Amino acid sequence: MTDLPPGLDQALSAVAGELGMASSSWVFVRAVARCSGDEAVAKLAEEVGPEFVVLEAIARAWLAGEHEPKTDTAKVIEAIGKATRVVVVGLEVAWLDRLLDKLPASVKIALVTHSGFPVDWERVLDNYAGRVERVDLDTFQHWAGGKSALLTFAYGRAEDARAAVLPLWLRACGADVRAQFRSLVAWNVLPSPLDLYPRRLVEVDADETFTHFV
Amino acid sequence: MSHSRASSSAAFVDAARVDALLAPIVPDTEDRAFVVRCILGEGPTHHRGANYVLLMLLGQLAPDLSAADVDALRARGTLPVPIKVPPHLERPQSLMAYPLGLPTGPLDALAPAGSQDQAAMVDCLNDGPPQHALANAAMMWLIGAAIARRDKP
Repeated sequence: MTDLPPGLDQALSAVAGELGMASSSWVFVRAVARCSGDEAVAKLAEEVGPEFVVLEAIARAWLAGEHEPKTDTAKVIEAIGKATRVVVVGLEVAWLDRLLDKLPASVKIALVTHSGFPVDWERVLDNYAGRVERVDLDTFQHWAGGKSALLTFAYGRAEDARAAVLPLWLRACGADVRAQFRSLVAWNVLPSPLDLYPRRLVEVDADETFTHFV
Repeated sequence: MSHSRASSSAAFVDAARVDALLAPIVPDTEDRAFVVRCILGEGPTHHRGANYVLLMLLGQLAPDLSAADVDALRARGTLPVPIKVPPHLERPQSLMAYPLGLPTGPLDALAPAGSQDQAAMVDCLNDGPPQHALANAAMMWLIGAAIARRDKP
């Protein structure tokens, strides 16, 4: 039986804030698979999964044969439409990096710098070389407008339209904010719904919550 | 006061019909989707239902609204319906407004253009949450078109 190195859960906590839970999970799942094979990936899901349900879902996807995250940007760009300002609520660098590659430079991007994990936001934003501006929960409405969109990441969607999102989304997108942004977009980063109780996340009705769920 | 019983349901709301009604006024589909969501998809249920009822009935007074109807009304003047954010978050030199303006022409029948009274009327129509202000603006377009048709020689 493969033994995993101790402290993987702590290591995941250390990077999840600056990469995002799904992006960091892909890094860990790939590394474990490369070093110790699929048996170790199954063990990773079993041992770390209950604490990091997103990792569990991605490990499960890996074992089912999905070895790359689906980061195609076509649908999210279509959802953003003609918006000229996009405020990103939550962080998933594997997805955000792809989006920034594809979006015209004329579309301004801001990131709500808030996380349940410890984050060095200066370091995160330095990676974007000025392309992404920093806003927080008190100031992001400065970006509101008829050509402004809010974008967050969703962690699976069940058949009954329940989708898991960061609690930050609920803090940001109250009744006032909903009418201040033309589009409320969720970009699903998981290939299947979560199997486990969504620790660190919160479930919402995707049909009621978002104008676009892609 | 609780809003219960029948007003707790607005299942009769058919957003596609209001979307079609407003198409000549807000031609861009994305802009119109935003406006229609604010009028019918946000705020208390009884407001959504009331907005739907009033808009659909007013639509019957100005059936088959055309671009020419809208252009004629627009030529008489419009004012923006502001997106309200806390004052310290407003963007200077950048009007944060909805993609549906308020036509002022119909108000000329009540108070002269440029008068304090007409300005106060605009304030009243624009005040309150977006589902009110935008529904008011949409209704003003339909009322204005209906009056224009009535007055057409």
